[in-house]
Amino acid sequence: MREAQRVALYYVLPSLVFVLLFSIYPIFESFRLSLYRMILTLPWLGQKFVGWENYRDLLTDPVAMKSLLTTLLFVAVTAPVEVLLGLFMALVLNESFRGRALLRAVVLVPWAIPTVVSSQMWRFIFNDRYGLVNFFLFGDATHLYVAPLAEPYLALIAIMVADVWKTSSFAALIILAGLQTIPDELYEAASIDGATLWQQLRHITLPLLKPALLLALLFRTIDALRVFDLVFVMTQGGPADATNVLQFYGYKKTFAEGMIGYGSTISVVVFFAALLLSLLYIRLLGARVLERPGR
Amino acid sequence: MRQNALQPVWWVLIGGFSLVPYLWFVLTSWKSPAQVTAIPPEIVPEFHWGFYLSALRDYGLLRYMRNSAIVASLTTLISIAIGSFAAYSLTRFRLSWTRIYLMLLLAISMFPQIAIAGPVWRILNTLGWLNTYQGIVAAYIALSLPLAVWILATFFKELPYEVEEAAMIDGCTRAQALWKVVLPLAAPGLFTASILVFIHVWNEFFFALLILTNPALQTLPVGIALFPGEYTMPWGEIAAASTIATLPLIALTLIFQRRIVRGLSAGAVKG
Amino acid sequence: MAITVLVFFVLFSCSFVFAETEIRFVTWKSQFPKVWDEAIRAFEAEHPGLKIVREIGPHSSTEFHDLVTQKLKNRDPEMDVFFMDVIWPAEFAAAGWALPLDRFFPAGEREKFLSAPILADTYRGQIYGVPVFIDAGMLYYRKDLLARYGFSPPRTWPELVAQAKAVLAKAKDPQLTGFSGQFKQYEGLICNMMEYILSNGGSLWDDDGLRGALHRPEAIEAVQFVRDRIIGEISHRGVLAYQEPESLALFAQGRAVFHRNWPYAWEIANDPQRSRVVGKVGMAVLPAFPGGKSVSTLGGWQLGISRFSRKPDLAWKFVSFMTSPEMQKRIALYAGRAPARRALYRDPDVLKKRPEFESQFETFVHAVPRPRTPVYVPLSNVMQRFFSSAIALRDSNIESLARLASRDMDRVLDLLREGVRP
Repeated sequence: MREAQRVALYYVLPSLVFVLLFSIYPIFESFRLSLYRMILTLPWLGQKFVGWENYRDLLTDPVAMKSLLTTLLFVAVTAPVEVLLGLFMALVLNESFRGRALLRAVVLVPWAIPTVVSSQMWRFIFNDRYGLVNFFLFGDATHLYVAPLAEPYLALIAIMVADVWKTSSFAALIILAGLQTIPDELYEAASIDGATLWQQLRHITLPLLKPALLLALLFRTIDALRVFDLVFVMTQGGPADATNVLQFYGYKKTFAEGMIGYGSTISVVVFFAALLLSLLYIRLLGARVLERPGR
Repeated sequence: MRQNALQPVWWVLIGGFSLVPYLWFVLTSWKSPAQVTAIPPEIVPEFHWGFYLSALRDYGLLRYMRNSAIVASLTTLISIAIGSFAAYSLTRFRLSWTRIYLMLLLAISMFPQIAIAGPVWRILNTLGWLNTYQGIVAAYIALSLPLAVWILATFFKELPYEVEEAAMIDGCTRAQALWKVVLPLAAPGLFTASILVFIHVWNEFFFALLILTNPALQTLPVGIALFPGEYTMPWGEIAAASTIATLPLIALTLIFQRRIVRGLSAGAVKG
Repeated sequence: MAITVLVFFVLFSCSFVFAETEIRFVTWKSQFPKVWDEAIRAFEAEHPGLKIVREIGPHSSTEFHDLVTQKLKNRDPEMDVFFMDVIWPAEFAAAGWALPLDRFFPAGEREKFLSAPILADTYRGQIYGVPVFIDAGMLYYRKDLLARYGFSPPRTWPELVAQAKAVLAKAKDPQLTGFSGQFKQYEGLICNMMEYILSNGGSLWDDDGLRGALHRPEAIEAVQFVRDRIIGEISHRGVLAYQEPESLALFAQGRAVFHRNWPYAWEIANDPQRSRVVGKVGMAVLPAFPGGKSVSTLGGWQLGISRFSRKPDLAWKFVSFMTSPEMQKRIALYAGRAPARRALYRDPDVLKKRPEFESQFETFVHAVPRPRTPVYVPLSNVMQRFFSSAIALRDSNIESLARLASRDMDRVLDLLREGVRP
């Protein structure tokens, strides 16, 4: 047992070094900074320990609260939509047909494009004059063209569309993997019993797919809570602050305004939001992967 | 489920959803400069190759792609190697802390990268590793380890312990057993993890922007993000660059999609 | 033998160390890279032993700011010279990041530059940057359309709206819009809105009392004018998402009667490759409100030296070279940027290649810098949020939004009263 302890530790050690240095230390550093007031551009104010003051300020900061709501709305819409769309794609892609390999590759295209590039692409597509969306909806009638990125409500939807496009295929991939573990015999037996496609979906596929669906939802939720690139490229938080998600607000505070303490506070809050939601999912998921291998 | 008559409709819908926005960008890359911002948009391009020429020649696209390929491959190799050892250890030993370590990895993968970026920058600065391949790769390894270890762990967990035990009884050391028995068996998992890590790293923008300011080392996302000038938006060049830059990844997914999917289903989401 | 090798090695390594001293220059990628490449080669040729190593960041002012401050806050000695947007010197000076240049850049030399950028580079009596080129807001208009309907360029904002409405009504072109400017929530929004507010006698904040001034009637009136008349009557709502490129594209496609932009737009609007209105474009100073004075926001870039640089004297050699009359002339001729040195506006070569500079000169002289303060960025973010909320929603309650914005600005400005400044 002693020996096992040692070997186990040796094997984990290299990963631990990287993780400690480049993840854990920075996280604790962020947490520490969130307890200070530190404004880079006003160095004479010094680094003052303020305890939980930044957290209290955050609760009374209307911009931060609106931003939290925007973020939660973003998560609440995109994560389920992506999982549903992913489910649909996975169901179709699970059938065997000629050209399936090609379609599977096509579906992965959005996922393979760097987010910075796809954000620029969507910004171009949503342009109010030369964008594809308007052309598709209104053709040559340019006087009808709308400006999705200029209207507070549409802008958030535009960001959501870009996110759904980019990441649904990732959800599809996970769900597809889950689908392939469902034995064909179940369906065969069901169709012999005269079950319709819908009944098969409801009574066989969905229940057996629950872990995969939850896993996809977990990954998408964590990722959506931290949405940044899309806002950074497409809207810079506007118009009327309608797309100012928490992570972007935190970035502005830390990197642009030099309010290190307050910016770190926002990051810590985003982290705990993600942690809470994931614990919830893991509970639902049953945390199978964490079980020790049977011997 | 059985085939149904609507299938072809779904194929077109799914394919269109995934491809049309991208194809629009591809068409844009062949337009002439005045055509790009034409109102209303013109669909058929004039097949003007100037944007490709200027993306490749004036904007140094190939250099960015080479850097991305180097950084992503190195990161993938090292983090899969390190990750395999960790995942093996975490799934093979009945120890109290292995579970905690896995949870820890999951938790740190939730932390906003923007908050980590500052301290990481300072560490790399201390090491003198800013603007080096090893600097960005080190940061990326840390970023991708949780993903790698989690996926690998789900694979290793499924592998029967007996084969390995047999090998050790036959005189293999544990390291040899890992190398000769476990890794080959887990090949689909290694492969999946590699692809996921590779794409994850290939797409990463924020760290690269801060760490790599030397244009000779900058990666593709940073490179393309640097295309816009202060008052100009070179849509044509961005479209051309995106078209070229995405081709290798499309090829990669086209060739390996079967493996990616099979790899995932072999472990990650077994109910 | 061993000694020979040792001596050789020492000599070699010494010569290696002393032969080339690197000066690190953090810059953005220019639209005209050749001009900068040649300038840097010329500098290296003139100063053997000095080598300029460039680090390239994004050209967007906001993103470049975040990159440079990341290096400065970590006291990175690997950065000697950097570009500064005209709004940063106060911030960099107060934070102790930029080196005061007074000993290199005496008052007599400063007089050779336009006064507005010099003012922007000065903080608490010391100078922190040397202007390279400047920008100022301009009004572009469709010469042909105004002439066809018998108008001359508008002197006031209400006149501009009236002319635009008349042209739109008579031209009967559903694709034509009256005005295109930059109203997205970003730094450019401040530049645009400041021109309305200041030309109505208002201000963004009161620099002496350190109090936000957006809730005052002049400011509210101007903001309301933009919402109801500019965006409500003559622009289409897309301008609320426009930065410079989109707004210029609209004008260059011949879809806008009036356009607000920086001087660079002239060249693009007259380039047959990129424009469909070549030769139909006029340029004028921006309108004012009746009784007010036309105001152009000052933009442009400066070179600064890092306080953490280990070789400020060598860095100055480079800065001084890049801002010399010869180099500014080169930049004016081949990159089309307006020089910061006064004399170049009388230079025959410059005027021959860039005749528009002559008429723009008045605007450059009177361009107004955005207020100088170390807390500019947080203030700007408050203002961006306010302006965007006020103009993007048709039924926004401008007064109450303005009061909130002024209060938030007060809170930021209060930080300046705290503690004892060195």
